[in-house]
Amino acid sequence: MNIKKTIVLFLIFCAPILGFAQEKSIDSLKNELGKHTENDTLRAALLIKLAENMTYSSPNEAFRYIEEAITISSKEKWIEGKAMSYRQKGNLFYVLADNLKALDMYQKALVLSQMTSNKQLESGLLGNLGNIHADLKEYDQALNNYRAYLATAQTLGSRADEIKALSNIAIIYNDTGKFDEGVSFLEKALALAKLEGNDLFIAAITNNLALAYKNSGQQEKALRFYKEAVDLAQGIDNKYIEASALNSIGKINVLLKKFSVAEKNANKALSLSKEIGAIEWESDSWQVLSQVYEHYGKNAEALKAYKEHVQLKDSVLSEEKKSELTRKEMQFQMERQEAMALEEIKRQQFVKNGYLVGAIFLALISIIAYVLYKRRRDAMEERKVAEFNAKVAETELKALRSQMNPHFIFNSLNAISDFISRNDMEQADDYLVKFAKLTRSILENSEKKWITLEEDLELMELYMQIETLRLVNKLTYRIAVSESIDPDNTLIPPLMLQPFIENSIWHGIAPKNSNGKIDIIIQKKGNMLLCVVEDNGIGRPKTSPNGIKKNPLGLKITANRIEIINKIKNTDGSIKLLDKKEGVRVEVLIPLEIKF
Amino acid sequence: MLKAILIDDEQHCINRLEGLLRKNAPDIEIVARCKTIEGAKSEISLQSPDILFLDVQLGRDTGFDLLSQINYTDIEVIFTTSYDKYALKAIKFSALDFLLKPIDRSDLSHAIQKLKRYRNLRDTSKKIEVLLSNIKENNTSSERIAIPTLEGYTMVDTRDIIRFQSDANYSHIHLKSNNKITASKTIKYFEEILAHRNFFRVHKSHLVNLSYVETYVKGKGGYITLNDGTKIEVAVRRKEELIKKLISKT
Repeated sequence: MNIKKTIVLFLIFCAPILGFAQEKSIDSLKNELGKHTENDTLRAALLIKLAENMTYSSPNEAFRYIEEAITISSKEKWIEGKAMSYRQKGNLFYVLADNLKALDMYQKALVLSQMTSNKQLESGLLGNLGNIHADLKEYDQALNNYRAYLATAQTLGSRADEIKALSNIAIIYNDTGKFDEGVSFLEKALALAKLEGNDLFIAAITNNLALAYKNSGQQEKALRFYKEAVDLAQGIDNKYIEASALNSIGKINVLLKKFSVAEKNANKALSLSKEIGAIEWESDSWQVLSQVYEHYGKNAEALKAYKEHVQLKDSVLSEEKKSELTRKEMQFQMERQEAMALEEIKRQQFVKNGYLVGAIFLALISIIAYVLYKRRRDAMEERKVAEFNAKVAETELKALRSQMNPHFIFNSLNAISDFISRNDMEQADDYLVKFAKLTRSILENSEKKWITLEEDLELMELYMQIETLRLVNKLTYRIAVSESIDPDNTLIPPLMLQPFIENSIWHGIAPKNSNGKIDIIIQKKGNMLLCVVEDNGIGRPKTSPNGIKKNPLGLKITANRIEIINKIKNTDGSIKLLDKKEGVRVEVLIPLEIKF
Repeated sequence: MLKAILIDDEQHCINRLEGLLRKNAPDIEIVARCKTIEGAKSEISLQSPDILFLDVQLGRDTGFDLLSQINYTDIEVIFTTSYDKYALKAIKFSALDFLLKPIDRSDLSHAIQKLKRYRNLRDTSKKIEVLLSNIKENNTSSERIAIPTLEGYTMVDTRDIIRFQSDANYSHIHLKSNNKITASKTIKYFEEILAHRNFFRVHKSHLVNLSYVETYVKGKGGYITLNDGTKIEVAVRRKEELIKKLISKT
């Protein structure tokens, strides 16, 4: 009981110095706030100050201001302001005896304060946390907080904080029955308080020291210190300490059987307690008085005093119970949090394992999918290659067929027969030998994919010579290779132009009534080779009066060959058929291939 | 007058050639016409002809079989064939002359002129030797080629040739023995004959025996070094195919 009192005593002297001094400025602060509407750090500081001043007078109203301060500080990223706001919010909860919420706020504030360079703030928060833990009888925690508080106070050179830390440590020791340590810390605190010349501290510490002696059974020494505490308290007009000390003196005197002294002190304490509304102290006074009356045999008065004592004590105890309840609640909360944390760890482990299994599964699926995909793609690729090769082979065959056009073969044989029947043996023989040579060359060259331009043009010439022999009207031809081209070093797919020359002769010039002319022009066009076959024949429209092209096969085969070349060489070869005023012009564009 | 024997298993071929010779080469006397090897053999020993017009395919036998069974010194040979790729290749290797059927008048005159001009060189027997050794069954140990030079023909084993270097209408042939032959043929002629014999035209001016390639050094086209220490430039357009060949070789 008594120890609790000392704690209460300290709690009150932890913060009130500001409170009372600036109580009056609440209105002026509100005024100032009304003028400063901008949501900046200045307003946040004002809000904190206002809430601070309202701690004891109207804590419930103060929450509104401190919440705003938190919002502004967060928005402005003013960490120190946020820390101070949280601390003040903690103070408000503390005053309203909500230790759990206060603890939460102080811890938040502590974390934030450690991010700033405000050591004073951090130090104060450690003190606040210590107080809460002490209240909740978590002595080890409280001691740790106070020790840290002491250390920071010492580094900062803040004597007031050092005194508070020392005193609070002493209280813990007293609470846990280590009176010698308690006394030693209190003496240190007292020495510092005297050095500082802080009378309030001196009075309070003296009172606590007296209590420590009393608890350790040194009644005489305790009495002496209590008397000193009374004097000191009177000197600073602190009725709270005075009443506490007077009660204690009364109690000791009861034990020492000095009942009149005890009565005198108790009465004095009672009136002081009533004056300041300290119910606990009042209860103590009534206890001493009831014992005194009992001794005097004033039973009725003793009973009345005892009733007063019990009544008041009950109300104090309910406060205690509330504190106890808070402690239990907090323990429960903490246990629940621990359990939840454990559960969370388990859950996370499970999730982690789940992810791992999932990832492995996914990887396996991916690999299988890729293998399947690759197989399918390879098969498709193979099929495409096979299809392409088949097309190449087919086109080659068709190209050969078109060059060895049965029409051409039988026409030639017919021509030979005609020469023989006209008894023109020499012409027949000449024609036949040329025909054989051409056939041989076509057979040999159609095996090759590329031959030199020179070889190809020789073939074309041979072909045109044969056709010249066969035609009734005269056919002249001209082969013009541009100077920038070396026919011996330029490659061309064999007999590429043959179908067009054939077309020109058979459908352009043969049906014509006058002499025909074929121009073969080979030119360079960028990195392409332009091959032109031009005739002065009757032209296309007249060649196909019924709308059916006479020789689409040759054209289609050549187009296919160019398409294959385009695919292999990644080029843009083409065939263009142009109708001239007289005759047709065919432009074949193929990639310029150089042998060396 | 030159004595000639026409050997062909088909009568119309003999007739045609005879007609052409009568018209275009009056100084050639046809002393015999044979359709089989046996007939030809006896006619040859009987007549000692100067020229044989010899068909490659003679029923089941070949003209080559006939040559291997007779004394061919002092006999000139002109092969006649219609279409026989492999035989032609062998004939080309030996540098013997040949005519394709149906025979072209001008081709025939040309062949006869050539024959008359080189007859006194008396190197035909050497060419026939080359031919017969090359066509010998399972002959993988040697492959000889008759190289036309300004002086006549030089017979060389293709495996002894390191490389050909083009010099306009001539080709310089570098041999393993460090000797050099100058041939009166273009590099293209040799390229065509030797294309399937592990020779590769790496450059417009160079035809090399791939067996002698020591290293290939990468570059735009790169270059190769040969056993004899020469460095040969590789044409950009030949690079890819060369690498393919070198890889397939190893």
